Amino acid sequence: MNDENSLSTDVLIVGAGPSGLSTAISLANKFNKSGDKKRIIVIDKGQDVGSHILSGTLVKEQALKELLSKEEFENLPIESEVISDSTVKLSPDSFSTLPFHPPYMNNTGNKIISLSKVCRYLADVAITKGVEIYPGFAVSDLIYKDNKIIGAKCIDTGVNKKGEKQKNFQEGSKIFAKLIVLAEGSRGSLAKKVKNRFGLRANSNPQLYSIGIKEVWSVKDDAINKGEVYHTFGYPLQGDEFGGGFIYGLGDNRVELGFAIGLDYKDPTLDPHALMQIWKQHPFVKKILDGGTLTQYGAKTIPEGGWNCISKLYTDNLLIVGDSAGFVSMPALKGVHFSVTSGMCAAECAYEAFQANDFSEAMLSKYKKLIDNSRIKKELYPVRNFRAVMSEGLFVGGFKFGIQLITNGFCLLTPHMKKDSLNTKKISEFKDIPFKERFADKLEFDKKLTFDKDSSVFYSGTHHDEEQPTHLVVKDIDQFSKININQYGMPCQYFCPAAVYEEHIDKDGNHSLKIHAENCVHCKTCDIKTPNDAITWNTPYGGDGPQYQNM
Amino acid sequence: MTTIISLMKQVPLPSQMRMGEDGLMDRTKAKSIINIDCSFALEAGLQLKSMLKEAKLIVCSMGPPSFEQSLKKAISMGYDEAYLLSDRKLGGSDTFATGLAISTMIRHLGFGKGLNEDFIIVAGRQTSDGDTAHVPSQVAANLDIPQATFIENVQFEDNHIIARRIIEGGYQILKLPKPCTLSLTPTGIPPRRPSLVGAVRASKTKVNVLSVADINLSDEKIGLSGSPTIVAKVINIKSERAPVVLSKGHDSSTLVNSLMANMKSGKNTLETIEKKITKAKTAPQDYEKVDFRDGASGILTWAELANGKITRPSLELLTPAKNLANSLEKGTKVRTLLIGHNVKDLANELIYHGSDEVIVVDDERLEEYRILPFSSIFSQVIKKYNPEIALFAATTAGRELAPRTAVLTQSGVTADCTGLEIGEHIDRKNKKVFYPILESRRPTYGESKLATILGFHCPQISTARAGTFEIPKRDETLKGKITTFKPKLENGVFITEIVKTVRGDSGLANLFEADIIVSGGRGTISDDMQLVKDLAQALKDQGISAEYASSRPMVDIGISEYARQVGQTGKTVRPKVYIAIGISGAIQHLAGMKESDTIIAINTHSQESIFANADFGIVGDYSDIVPELIKQVKQGFSFGIEKGNKNV
Repeated sequence: MNDENSLSTDVLIVGAGPSGLSTAISLANKFNKSGDKKRIIVIDKGQDVGSHILSGTLVKEQALKELLSKEEFENLPIESEVISDSTVKLSPDSFSTLPFHPPYMNNTGNKIISLSKVCRYLADVAITKGVEIYPGFAVSDLIYKDNKIIGAKCIDTGVNKKGEKQKNFQEGSKIFAKLIVLAEGSRGSLAKKVKNRFGLRANSNPQLYSIGIKEVWSVKDDAINKGEVYHTFGYPLQGDEFGGGFIYGLGDNRVELGFAIGLDYKDPTLDPHALMQIWKQHPFVKKILDGGTLTQYGAKTIPEGGWNCISKLYTDNLLIVGDSAGFVSMPALKGVHFSVTSGMCAAECAYEAFQANDFSEAMLSKYKKLIDNSRIKKELYPVRNFRAVMSEGLFVGGFKFGIQLITNGFCLLTPHMKKDSLNTKKISEFKDIPFKERFADKLEFDKKLTFDKDSSVFYSGTHHDEEQPTHLVVKDIDQFSKININQYGMPCQYFCPAAVYEEHIDKDGNHSLKIHAENCVHCKTCDIKTPNDAITWNTPYGGDGPQYQNM
Repeated sequence: MTTIISLMKQVPLPSQMRMGEDGLMDRTKAKSIINIDCSFALEAGLQLKSMLKEAKLIVCSMGPPSFEQSLKKAISMGYDEAYLLSDRKLGGSDTFATGLAISTMIRHLGFGKGLNEDFIIVAGRQTSDGDTAHVPSQVAANLDIPQATFIENVQFEDNHIIARRIIEGGYQILKLPKPCTLSLTPTGIPPRRPSLVGAVRASKTKVNVLSVADINLSDEKIGLSGSPTIVAKVINIKSERAPVVLSKGHDSSTLVNSLMANMKSGKNTLETIEKKITKAKTAPQDYEKVDFRDGASGILTWAELANGKITRPSLELLTPAKNLANSLEKGTKVRTLLIGHNVKDLANELIYHGSDEVIVVDDERLEEYRILPFSSIFSQVIKKYNPEIALFAATTAGRELAPRTAVLTQSGVTADCTGLEIGEHIDRKNKKVFYPILESRRPTYGESKLATILGFHCPQISTARAGTFEIPKRDETLKGKITTFKPKLENGVFITEIVKTVRGDSGLANLFEADIIVSGGRGTISDDMQLVKDLAQALKDQGISAEYASSRPMVDIGISEYARQVGQTGKTVRPKVYIAIGISGAIQHLAGMKESDTIIAINTHSQESIFANADFGIVGDYSDIVPELIKQVKQGFSFGIEKGNKNV
């Protein structure tokens, strides 16, 4: 062990998103109040705090109110209050506004925020409380001793594509911590390792995800009012495809909009990025964007399986919070307030653990009790079967969900849930019209309203050092060829929103995989949706990846 | 113990500098980064430390307080101390004043008092928001220590620095003593990433902020008053190339067929907006007319030699020199300084190309160019002949020789010009008109703007970008004077040793005259550019004047020869068709080929900037597309070039 390149802390929080920063703020408040001198370090793989934060957020403010002091809360950067909120059903050429809100979807009183902006604000708050925050560093591994986690290690840099050390090699620093909080966001790569290693998923359903594509536009005057909110469902989705769009007016001629689709879809050629582009061509969306310009693009996955998909979230010396835990309410399309609450629960549990100087699993099980007594269970438990029935499509699912509203979530015929990668059908087994034929006349992108993937990626600002081993690891290239390419037609080339995966056809007609890792926007869809779980998303060098400004 | 002093500047991230809606470069939204070249210098400092075993690492910068973040990054990479010269009074400083301020700061830190001191200065070659490459030379000149610029690799052996310096068409290995100044190009070892432990240390380390008063620098020597040059005007350069026409298809033959069809139907064209012609403003009659030349007269140019011949850029230089002389008083002379050994025979060549007088310095120690003796000779010749203008080709030698000479003559310098004219400067505040004055125009901000720079001290010094001006017609009837000059040279100026000079065959003039250039970049490494060569050969076999070339990385790793390198440090070419294969389109490369009539880009990555600078493009794999192209060429496809034009 190189002592010069390691440091010790009381608490290490991996990820400076809403859950990690809430943990830091809440815990620092407690230590400061009691006069304990404890070191809290937050590190984040984004170049800056907020660089890797993307959300279409209508936030329920209550949780933030509980986290922050009155003055801190009042200074929160808010884009707008929601002034009107409509749910719109789209059909191919027309639309109709629902005269009511679907259950849980009423946003009256909520605020539109830019989560990356809010995170930068929360980071500033945390720093004033003595929290140390270091963006631009990626943790690639956890350090174990006697099968217990005792620290984390940053990724080694200055390594070439083949994995050979270069002259500018810099070994990743080791951080030893009494307690580690994983707040990595959706499909966290460390959380995934921990859950597998310690069998934390034993008593839960597999997590289900959606992918959300988001764009920010600068639009013409009066295209949309500040605080105007729309959610759309229906077109361009069909049958059992689950998802929809959102459009929020931000003021100053800015609008944010996005489209999300559940990754349990079956068509191996479905392309979520293209769906977003098709959706934008619908007259209802187009009229808002016409004459405007795209300013930002990004994508993220959303862990939306709900209560039944939440794994055990603690082991010796470690807690998991926020999206890494899976705290999202799909019927309400919300998770930020849960992230904050889970951070506060983690902080309370951590504080007690420090009082007792005991970081054992038994001690940290307090975290589960705190979650169970918080708004997280209160809001998630009644809708625990929502996502499961919705996999049967809007009609059957909507009917069953309606019944659950009366029965506090109880559902007789809950469909069996399987992980998203298992829902993709082989080319030969998919009998519906394939995606490309379904939208044959909508896939020419004009670079004004609609953009191809490469152009879109430009607006994410993503950048990766070329000299590094690819962070997207294919388990077995022969198997990949046999299964993913030959049987499934290589779905990753379609579902990846950043043109990372290319099906390369050489002059002899052989098909192979080409990875453009430098395009990656860190959404992790490939880790979730690839048949045979053939691709693993690892973290690249710290500071690489998208550069979201106000996403 | 050796002290390594790294000079660093913070700049707006070039890729984030976007044109605002008002047409002005919007730097406010751009994130700030350590200037790329400076980050390579920081790494070179760290590498030197590892070779020296023990050394102290200091990083210095000059700029606003926001530069602290970059200085802290240097600490997180492994630097020990950070100093920032920060003062509002420094605003408006040109490179001359900046060089003086930085060298004064270094003196303040306790260095630069004699040649027996144990320190090494490393700096970036140039900055992305200035592109002059002056400051390292000017710092070295002010401290009166040896220098080596355009360095890509440093070693430390036998208490000396062994540096690999880029020269036109090759490289040179130099051996320098301590103390010295090195300027690093971004082609060596890329900067290491900071470690978390380093970042923690940086957050607890204080940057030492110094004011102008702290370093005892008088106010009139900095800022506008201390700067011999001013930026008189900046205009936008519109990208002259319309959006690329990309081939469509999923396999190589469809893609190539699509390219052929696209070329037939023609490239995209830009809508040109007629500009209103505004009349040049004339100065009111009552303004005082100022001729600041004070007796200085004539234009002095430098004849750079390579392999015993006058280099092409030095001959090109005679075109603007002659034009300037013609716009000045009748009888204004163009003089050319020719330094070398046994070079007298070359003097006539310069006269045939338009020089009125060739000043020859002949000395066996001067066979190869070296900065210290050459800058000393230049300052002596300038003192004797008192020219109003001195011009250098913007080669790696010219770009260090001009600023070092300028410090000795107290002049300003304008780097890498593409336009040189005589004009007037109206100073409305003081009701003065300065005439005649050299208007030096240079592209800046990643070639997006054209700035006009004026200097008010003679000689007005500029370097001219190679390939910009045509070589004057050779005329053996031209007459001129040949004069010998004997400079005073102390032994100290020969302290830097040239260990080795490697220069490719400069006879590859074909590259300048070929109709089609097939150029290979990093994306053609897999077969050592074989398919690139094959395509060029296939074209030649069809009777088309074609040649192959490459981008810099291919030369660096030894796949291509220096003589075939296209780009800022290589050749500037203007063929009818330039086929860029596997070339990313770095600005340095673009500078060498963007004047080509038609540019075709082939690259696997559609994001590469080459596509933004091409007329036609194929996104596809090198090893698939090029064989298909060769096949088509063999069947008669000629990229629209007529066969039989064999006048090469």
